[in-house]
Amino acid sequence: MTTANERWDLRLYTAGQSPKSLAALSNLKRICDEHLAGRYSIEVIDLMKNPRLAKDDEIVAIPTLVRKLPAPLRKVIGDLSNEERALVGLQLRPHK
Amino acid sequence: MKATQNPLPETDGDLAKMRKVMEESADVCRAIASGEVDAFVVGDDNSRRVLLLATAYQRYRQLVERMAQGAVTVTGQGNILYANQKFADMLGIPLAQLYTAPLEAYVGMGDRAQLSSFLIMSARNSQIELALSRRDGTTLPVRLALATYSDGYATLLATDLRPMQWPSLTVDALDSIRDSLEKLNQGAISKDAAARAALDRISEEINGLARMIDEMLDVGGRAGRA
Repeated sequence: MTTANERWDLRLYTAGQSPKSLAALSNLKRICDEHLAGRYSIEVIDLMKNPRLAKDDEIVAIPTLVRKLPAPLRKVIGDLSNEERALVGLQLRPHK
Repeated sequence: MKATQNPLPETDGDLAKMRKVMEESADVCRAIASGEVDAFVVGDDNSRRVLLLATAYQRYRQLVERMAQGAVTVTGQGNILYANQKFADMLGIPLAQLYTAPLEAYVGMGDRAQLSSFLIMSARNSQIELALSRRDGTTLPVRLALATYSDGYATLLATDLRPMQWPSLTVDALDSIRDSLEKLNQGAISKDAAARAALDRISEEINGLARMIDEMLDVGGRAGRA
């Protein structure tokens, strides 16, 4: 699913410190540390501060995670509390 | 006849785009139905804004923000999911730095095992006392009490265990007021009988307050020595 040296650029769209946004960030860090240790970067974009940035990735619901790299672009919507779904969404695990 | 604005997809590329849009829409619906999102982006390009879902949890959060105690919610792995400003102040650390950090990083080395056990056994143990490690290198003794535990998340309340500082400040303030009243008594106001009577009443009330604080301090001192 992913090669050992592949760089992962992730972007998490949040709504300030809303409970689901904080949960998504916590869950994302845990997933990345477990599956992508040392080869990922997370950019957090707070749409409460700048809602116009939602247009870039056509964000509708918050939190939403966008995988910028590796291509192709992927989106995972929600707080990532369902790890299995998050891994499948990021293509870190094959769809069953 | 006018041409349609949204022609039916003709190529595989069009179909692939439509499939992606459909999948994303279905994913948004699933996330809403399962309660995994709490905000939406509404409006067009010129008036885009974020709409937060109003929930009881938000009102709870507002209450927690106004509390005099530190509050911190940790995940099952012991990472900070949420903390209030008071807890950040206790540590002397900007609030934003606390999110997702392990709570044990802010606890003295000697207390980490105790904290770990407490978090694991938090359903049964109600509180522990330990020292928080502040950014300036000092420690702060606190009592951590379990407020809620649900879905693997524990919310803890931290109470500062240092002796209260306010009584001495209050005594200083009362002394200062007494000095001011004394000066007024000796000045022009001393010639006005009604003003003098009013000043005497104020002085009596201040002396009463001072005695009450002295007694409280004495009780506190005895309790601390006991």
